[in-house]
Amino acid sequence: MSLLLQYVANGLAAGSLYALVALGVVLLYRSSRVLNFAHGDLATLGVFVAFTALARGWPYPVALGAGLVGTALVSAAFYRLLIKPVRQATALSLVITTLGFALLLSGLMVWIWGTDTKVFPFPLSEVRVYRLGGVVVSELSAGSLAVGLLLVAALSLVVQKTRLGLAMRAVAQNPVAAQLLGVPAGRVLAATWAVAGGLGAAAGMLLAPAVLLDPFMMLDPFLKGFAAAVLGGMDSLPGAVLGGVVLGVAESVFAGYVSVKYKATLAFVVIVAVLLAKPEGLLGRPFHRRV
Amino acid sequence: MHRVLGLCLVVLLALPFATTAQERGVTAEEVVVGSSMPLSGPAAYWGAVGRAMEAYARYLNDQGGVHGRRLRVVLRDDGYLPPRAAANVRELVERVGVFAIVGLIGTANAFAVRDYIVRNEVVWITPTADASMWYGFRDKKYLFVTYPSYVEEAKILVDYAAKQLGVRTVAVFYQNDLYGQKGLLGAKQGAVRSRVRIVAQVPYEVTQADVSSEAVKLRESRAEAVLLYATPRHGALIVREMAKVGYTPKLLSSFTLGDPIMFALAGEAWNGVISTAFFPLPGMGDSKVDEALAVLTRVDPALRTNPYNALAGWAFMEPFVEGLRRAGRDLTKERFVQAMETIRNWDGQVIRGVTFGPDRRQGIHRVYLTRAEGGRYTKLTDWISYPTGF
Repeated sequence: MSLLLQYVANGLAAGSLYALVALGVVLLYRSSRVLNFAHGDLATLGVFVAFTALARGWPYPVALGAGLVGTALVSAAFYRLLIKPVRQATALSLVITTLGFALLLSGLMVWIWGTDTKVFPFPLSEVRVYRLGGVVVSELSAGSLAVGLLLVAALSLVVQKTRLGLAMRAVAQNPVAAQLLGVPAGRVLAATWAVAGGLGAAAGMLLAPAVLLDPFMMLDPFLKGFAAAVLGGMDSLPGAVLGGVVLGVAESVFAGYVSVKYKATLAFVVIVAVLLAKPEGLLGRPFHRRV
Repeated sequence: MHRVLGLCLVVLLALPFATTAQERGVTAEEVVVGSSMPLSGPAAYWGAVGRAMEAYARYLNDQGGVHGRRLRVVLRDDGYLPPRAAANVRELVERVGVFAIVGLIGTANAFAVRDYIVRNEVVWITPTADASMWYGFRDKKYLFVTYPSYVEEAKILVDYAAKQLGVRTVAVFYQNDLYGQKGLLGAKQGAVRSRVRIVAQVPYEVTQADVSSEAVKLRESRAEAVLLYATPRHGALIVREMAKVGYTPKLLSSFTLGDPIMFALAGEAWNGVISTAFFPLPGMGDSKVDEALAVLTRVDPALRTNPYNALAGWAFMEPFVEGLRRAGRDLTKERFVQAMETIRNWDGQVIRGVTFGPDRRQGIHRVYLTRAEGGRYTKLTDWISYPTGF
């Protein structure tokens, strides 16, 4: 039993980070119908900014904050300068634009910070562990889970209870009508991109101490986050969280009891299965096309 | 008029001979070598080998090159993906026109380009791939390898675990591609020979970020020793994760994890790890190696964070340059091959004890064991040889 709980605990820690990535992906897709393939690289950029700030002796809150804000600004700028001008283009062009930006960012990071693996200093320890019965949880894993939940709560508060959130929802639902009613859609979308970027960077910063930092560290977590978003429903924020957690736990338990070799494949099997059985995802609204 | 026409005809007829006499990748001023390796993607860490090859060439060129020719290194990024490696090699041979390929990282990638290189008779120095892939392989005229075999190395590690550490059960944590699978194969063969039981085989994908479930899986096997065939990053992660879940077996690793950076990445958990090595490691008291590292980091300061791969880049280039020296100013592929075949028990600045011959393409067939302790590797055994395979 404690073995199963250990696999679940490992899965929850990974799943909370997948959820953070998925939230960013869903937030952008809901509001601007763009699948942002640069999300992972933007997150990594944030981690590198924080890494450099820490290396210069900045205190943790300032350095981590600089990473978050920096990523948010780059993400908003990406929307204003690249996505907005091509928004009317086909979905494929938008995807290619984000892919191009992803390549640009990763090239830039390799150029500035090199490809060697780095240790990302963090206030929570990966080595210090708590033992609850037979289950071992590191301070960092517990912290990631807590911070992840906190960020999810904060985001839902912003989206549901603030004027910005209301504007975000309005623009997501019907951008033309929102604009006609005086909502500055462009600025709201830029803000949405900034929030999504910040979320990604937060996920990256919680991940980097656990999986070590290099310019390509978000490759796998981004794919998993994307799968989690599809699982939960591309237009549902609670769905993204649920998708992340379910995927994390499923992966870990699958590795433990079925096959460790095909663990990495599970996320893709999940995408295919969900698209076949319930294309709108676990918590997404069903698609209706009115003729 | 007739004389002019006749002269033109002679010139035209002579042209093809003039161009064939010119060796690909060799001009009066330079020799061009190429390589394909991961400069991006999950294995980009190993790309430092290429930077080191460039730095070594620059250092050599500053001293006048070889027989008055400068060395030009052309690198292509394959992201550790075999199809991209295949495209890169075609480009290097057909468009860039290289005299030789030096290195080429990844056993799966080397497999992907092997037939093309052999068919086109391209000089290939030390594919950074499991050397046992050449056992029984014909058409190796233009191939020269100074890289160990993962299969043989794993056998030696398991043997050591059984005889010196008294281990009876072993688990293998390996990368799920040809690199890791060759290590696993060697471990299995070694286990039969040393009467050790392999109780768990736990693979991971090179793109994978989280290996916590894998650590639990290894712990559940209760193996007395764990053998690692991984990237430095995954090696460090699994060791940390195992320590986290309270599992502290004896650890043995491939030479690919012999990098001093492992102490920074894995922390305390790296102490006690036994690894193989095929050249003296930095900080072990070998002045020639330390000097080589000093040269490389002076030419390219970014290599400071990657000392082991930097020296590996030097080690792959060294025998090639020795071949160029022995071949003389009048460089052709055939002369180069003949020159390489005269190398016997040759010590370079980093790679040692290299021997080639008309029937011998495996330049080295030995490793030694090291032990990681307090941020340094110390020599544990003398050279351990294995049979020459090709």
